[in-house]
Amino acid sequence: MPISSLVLTLDASPERRASALREVARDPRITLGTPLEERWLPVVTDTGSLSEGEALAESLRDLPGVSFVDVVMVDFSEEER
Amino acid sequence: MDRRDFLKGTAMTAATLAASRLAYGQDKAAGTPPAVTGGQGVQWNKAPCRFCGTGCHVQVGVQNGKVVAIAGDQQAPVNKGLLCVKGYHVGLALYGSDRLTTPLLKKGDTHVPISWEEAIDIVARRVLKDPKGFGLYGSGQWTIPEGYAASKFVKGGLGSNQLDANARLCMASAVTGFLATYGVDEPAGCYDDLDACDVLIMWGNNPAEMHPVLFSRVIDRRSRGEKVTLIDIGTRKTRTSGFCDHSLRFKPNTDLAIACGIAHLLVENGTYDKAFVEAHCAFRAPSEPAALEGKAITFEEYRELLKPYTPEKVEAISGVPAKDLRMLADLFGRRDVRITSLWCMGMNQHTRGTAINNLVHGLHLLSGHFGKPGDAPTSLTGQPSACGTVREVGTLAHALPGGRVVARPEHRAQMEEIWNVPKGRLHDKPGYHTLEMWKRFSTPTEQGGDIHTLWVQVTNPAQTLPNTHKLVDPSRKLADKFLIVSDVYPSATARIADLILPSAMWVEKNGMVGNSERRTQQWFKMVKPPGQARDDAWQLIAVAHRLLELGFEGMKDKDGRFLFEVKGKDGKPVPLWDFAHYYDVNVDEHLFEEYRKTTRIKHKDLAPYQEYVKARGLRWPVVQQPDGSWRETRFRFAGFDDPYVKKGRDIQFYHSTTHDDRAQIWFSPYEPPPESPDTEFPFWLCTGRVIEHWHSGTMTMRIPQLQRAMPQAYVEMNRADARRLGVGNGDQVTVETRRGKLDLPVWVGGRGEPPEGSLFVPFFDERLLINGLTLDEHDPFSKQPDYKKCAARVRRRELVAEKQG
Repeated sequence: MPISSLVLTLDASPERRASALREVARDPRITLGTPLEERWLPVVTDTGSLSEGEALAESLRDLPGVSFVDVVMVDFSEEER
Repeated sequence: MDRRDFLKGTAMTAATLAASRLAYGQDKAAGTPPAVTGGQGVQWNKAPCRFCGTGCHVQVGVQNGKVVAIAGDQQAPVNKGLLCVKGYHVGLALYGSDRLTTPLLKKGDTHVPISWEEAIDIVARRVLKDPKGFGLYGSGQWTIPEGYAASKFVKGGLGSNQLDANARLCMASAVTGFLATYGVDEPAGCYDDLDACDVLIMWGNNPAEMHPVLFSRVIDRRSRGEKVTLIDIGTRKTRTSGFCDHSLRFKPNTDLAIACGIAHLLVENGTYDKAFVEAHCAFRAPSEPAALEGKAITFEEYRELLKPYTPEKVEAISGVPAKDLRMLADLFGRRDVRITSLWCMGMNQHTRGTAINNLVHGLHLLSGHFGKPGDAPTSLTGQPSACGTVREVGTLAHALPGGRVVARPEHRAQMEEIWNVPKGRLHDKPGYHTLEMWKRFSTPTEQGGDIHTLWVQVTNPAQTLPNTHKLVDPSRKLADKFLIVSDVYPSATARIADLILPSAMWVEKNGMVGNSERRTQQWFKMVKPPGQARDDAWQLIAVAHRLLELGFEGMKDKDGRFLFEVKGKDGKPVPLWDFAHYYDVNVDEHLFEEYRKTTRIKHKDLAPYQEYVKARGLRWPVVQQPDGSWRETRFRFAGFDDPYVKKGRDIQFYHSTTHDDRAQIWFSPYEPPPESPDTEFPFWLCTGRVIEHWHSGTMTMRIPQLQRAMPQAYVEMNRADARRLGVGNGDQVTVETRRGKLDLPVWVGGRGEPPEGSLFVPFFDERLLINGLTLDEHDPFSKQPDYKKCAARVRRRELVAEKQG
């Protein structure tokens, strides 16, 4: 059950930002932090495997309203190697 | 709080701090840099990332003797808590299932385990066969102490100069460019330029994939509403191109014409910075016979030489529209914007690599875009210590530590004194550069192949040298040629070795490296290496000691002491050659403190080891202040920051080749490449890297997440070429050059898009060795080969008919 820290850089458009926030909040694997300046959203993902975490980060990159995803930390202590 | 809640809380803190940096930029965040803290049995410590030359710092979480977590280091000025896809998986690089754990000797068709004592004895006896024919081929992944030990072993101990490193393949032309322009190596600017520039020009450079953390610094500025104009000048569309305001495609090798064309417009329009040029610059052109220093020319001669490079002529040569050339010249001609240029392999892996490096430096000097934050010509490196080890320690065939060269008697005398070896021990003739070293290793002894043994450390030449069918493969059929490989995994090179030595890697040992911005970084050993894997520096010291035992005088200093003697607290020599005692002292600290003495003559001053223990790296020159503290330097040659610039001077090129504090603005003509497409081989072939894998993939292909993300090499084709050939994604084609051929799956419409008539193949996949096809032609000064352009043809595997242009 790897845990990762990400920062989502949200779009400048308030509508697209709101849409992205709604989508992200719907996913139970994602814990949302407090957005900074309304555009930089810290999140924590908790997934069943590191590859699921990867796929989740990738899907966030493709989400309308998300312009960039930075990965800050990955804990893989429980990942099967 | 249970462990998961704790981990999630830590993770959210890390994400929030990183978000704060992104939202408010460097300065506001700099006041609140708490690191990831320990707890729940996880011990955290700092280390630079193992992979590229950016020099990101990570926090490494260790539990029960294993690396279990990686976090971006919030206190690191380079990455400010962020990491790229490779960086946050770096911990897994230690745990591939096939780590080498015991020395292996080739017997017949197999490798059989042997003891370390036997392995070290075999290496020592290969030296004794003929020390002058024993070569050491190292790496920009050697740590600084490892590289220094290698230099001392070969140059101080063996009295030969048969030492070179793989950085010859990636940044040697950057070195010769800096030397020919400023008289001293390495960039004057630093990453801070990325935070201050108004215009970022990327010359044949793809930082979105190769240096993503640096690229995100610029993209983050845009996200905060700052205006930064991004310009991509390259031979193919890349991920970087998609972010750029201007994306210019040029025909391979014509970057020299583009640079000359911009200079021509600056001169003819009168928009060059006359005051800067008159105060700080001189002019230079190629000489006959060719020499790195070239010949002095006047401004008027420079102007005349540039005259043929009109926008229309350059458009005809390069394919870049004249209006875009004028746009570039207009930008360089403006004093109200700050311009940073970045480049890496695109300019360096070039048969005219030195010349194009010189020309881009020249554009910045001619236009005065130099010496202010945001105004800088900056080359990037691909390996974590190409700068710190290969360039600064000098693990090259012509070099000695600290910017010295073997050809100069006073430099040899200085090193003989520092190493306390008899006068005359150091040889005055440079050894063989990488391509020559391997060519001679692959040539029968009776035909002049005078390298009988090569010891490879921390690199994978059977995959990364060009034209491997010529430079590597023949040696494996010659009975008297012996290949020794120190590595962590059974790489393409290890598998063909006669002797394999299992190495410790990254946080399994102490280390120091130097990144692209002159930043020297340090870390401590955090976990034990697997099995009998041992430090590369230990391997060198153990062989040195075995040579001493066998009576080889070179491993003694002039007082009869072992060349690598280190005394313990009791004043007695520590038996470092016995691995059980290797960590009784900090060998890195001893080697580094000795090396540090060599760094002053080129004003690359380093601080004491313990200062690096406290810091997330320091950029040289690091100079002690009156209060005893140590101050790094961000902008070299600039009076406001560089302590070696005389008071009252705004700029001083104090290592000028002309000894008058002037930098050289070069003219170099465009010339066609040694091999161009023709009717028989109608395509250009370019090779390179991908974001998921680091160089030859020895580490990243063993990280399941990265391997799955990019499982194998491919050939990227333009859609129109694919259509004409009748192939689509996944279809197998044969790519062929005059040197070899390779079957690859096609990728069309992928992350990059080569122009029509061009192919791109990455080199990370050891099952699909593209370097059997590449060209070993090289730059005459840097001796760096050109992996970026040669002639190729491609055909469907099912069909015999060859593709015609």
